[in-house]
Amino acid sequence: MIVVLAIDALEYKKVLEYNCENLKQHYFGKTDISEFSQPRTMVLWSSFMTGENKEKEVLGEGNKEMWSKKWNLDETFFKNFKNPVVLDLPGYSYELDVHEKSRKLLKEFFETEDKDKKLQTKQEYNKDAFDHHKKIKEQFFKALEEDHDFVLGYFSVADVIGHLNFGDNLVMKMIYKDLDEIAGQVKEKADKIIVLSDHGMEAVGVFGDHSTYGFWSTNFKDLGNPKITDFFDVLGNL
Amino acid sequence: MVEKEHMKIVIVGHVDHGKSTLIGRLLYDTGSLPPDKVEEVKKTCEALGRDMEFGFILDHLQEEREQGITIDTAQIFFNTDKRDYVIIDAPGHVEFIKNMITGASQAEAAILIIKAEEGLQEQTKRHAYILSMLGLKQLIVAVNVFDFDNFTQEKFNQLNDEIVDFLGKIDLKPSYVIPISAKLGDNIANKSEKIDWYSGDTVLNSLDTFALTKRNTDKGLRFPIQDAYKVEDKRIFAGRVESGVINKDDEVVVLPANTKTTIASVEKFLEEPVKAEAGESIGITTKDPLFIERGNVVCKEDDMPKVTDTIKANVFWMSKQDFDADESITLKLATQEVTANIEKIERRMNSSTLEEIQRDDNLLKNNEVGVMVIKTNEPVIVDNFNYVPELGRFVFERDNITSAGGIITNIELEKI
Repeated sequence: MIVVLAIDALEYKKVLEYNCENLKQHYFGKTDISEFSQPRTMVLWSSFMTGENKEKEVLGEGNKEMWSKKWNLDETFFKNFKNPVVLDLPGYSYELDVHEKSRKLLKEFFETEDKDKKLQTKQEYNKDAFDHHKKIKEQFFKALEEDHDFVLGYFSVADVIGHLNFGDNLVMKMIYKDLDEIAGQVKEKADKIIVLSDHGMEAVGVFGDHSTYGFWSTNFKDLGNPKITDFFDVLGNL
Repeated sequence: MVEKEHMKIVIVGHVDHGKSTLIGRLLYDTGSLPPDKVEEVKKTCEALGRDMEFGFILDHLQEEREQGITIDTAQIFFNTDKRDYVIIDAPGHVEFIKNMITGASQAEAAILIIKAEEGLQEQTKRHAYILSMLGLKQLIVAVNVFDFDNFTQEKFNQLNDEIVDFLGKIDLKPSYVIPISAKLGDNIANKSEKIDWYSGDTVLNSLDTFALTKRNTDKGLRFPIQDAYKVEDKRIFAGRVESGVINKDDEVVVLPANTKTTIASVEKFLEEPVKAEAGESIGITTKDPLFIERGNVVCKEDDMPKVTDTIKANVFWMSKQDFDADESITLKLATQEVTANIEKIERRMNSSTLEEIQRDDNLLKNNEVGVMVIKTNEPVIVDNFNYVPELGRFVFERDNITSAGGIITNIELEKI
């Protein structure tokens, strides 16, 4: 079984700082996403699965509309597998409602001046993110028990929680530890594993903004400083 | 104000056997953790669908310390009704052993944690060996139970026998072996309901039974001489009282010559005291005109250190240049300075991995610990490190540079 842990906004520096051995695996490094004008989640995952820079195409859909974009199996490297399962990946199997709600709450949080409302929004935002994380985790572990030759799990918790809490080391550490344990459990099930993020994150006060490189690791090959489109071939040829 | 007594403890054990959970538990059950952080971690753990983990709070506290937010140094505090406790922590084995040996910190009691399901692992044994090396006598073994369903009294008794047997071989005798659950808090501050067959003390109660190291003033007199001066027609012997009390008219013994005399006066700059106690720098004069020189130690007959030219010690080498056991080296102990040769190195250990060194040479490299028998060219006056640390601890100097720290923990083995 080949497994990809697709972790939104997993930050290279934090993986090192928190010493997340399972996320690091044997080989790890930064990805080069300098070809993109900005580190945008939908653009990056689209380019990842299709093996082509899809920035223009995705942005052409419109700021709001792009989140509904869905690539066909034939356009992705998933087609190379007999029985793949791809969980919650933006541009493919994304649970639009959940993520739309997150974005809406985030906007509300920054727009409101009312302190109580801010706190309440933040709590709801965090709760939704954690609940969704638990749900995807469950689906992911279930998929690992099933008969698939390829499993991809997309985890958004580090990004979503990070946007409002990246400067809170305690919370971020707990999230990284949880992700690290997920990677640890994958190790027992999969032959070849790739951990990949679209971009990382840097602190802006207590908040977090996307950083201009991603994180990768494998248990089988040193990939150097790959572009996100390189994974199309790396995974397609396994 | 009456100062509440405090005891320094150290907690050791295999990395996966629940050490930080136990520390977290001790702190949590004694109300020593910041409640808002506990709440935050609790909530986040719940949100992530995990069990409560104290490790995060400890990390957080550590981080605050590193950033200098809290004033405390690398020490963690909790307290019982009886006294305050300080958990001595160090970032790694190397620092820990170095701190203990060089006197940066010295524990008075230890807790060795062992996971019930795994028993005595190699790493546990190595940690136990450190305790033995440091000569710690007040020891609790906490058997940390992860799975109550499969843990019986019979299993506990069996493990207890194994533990006591192993520790006995390295000269350690646990005062208590307690089945605990660090995670759930069984037998830490509160009695366990699940382990109903265990009727002994909790960890906190056991700690409270341990004796504090005597205050330096309550020990026998040790007054190592730094210098002798002649002021007018008086010969004054100056130094620092390391332990005990010295009074005018006290009958004393000067070592190593073993000469008896009486204190004529206790002198202090601009003062005329009649007594001085541990920690004070003073001068003395004696009734008899004696030849006393730097390195001599003034004591009293009822409590004497050992005078010997052979010591067994644990030496922590901390120089990048290797030590060859065939070379002569300067040994400094309190104000004494002698030339030392190594009779034999009995055992060597890597202080980072705690593994015994099997190399086929006679060297001690950086960060290695050697148990060695040292022969000095003149007799030295020594104490057990755990009694009077100031006379139980020494350094090796090579070319005037401190290259190693050593401690003497088993004085009974010494001979002249």
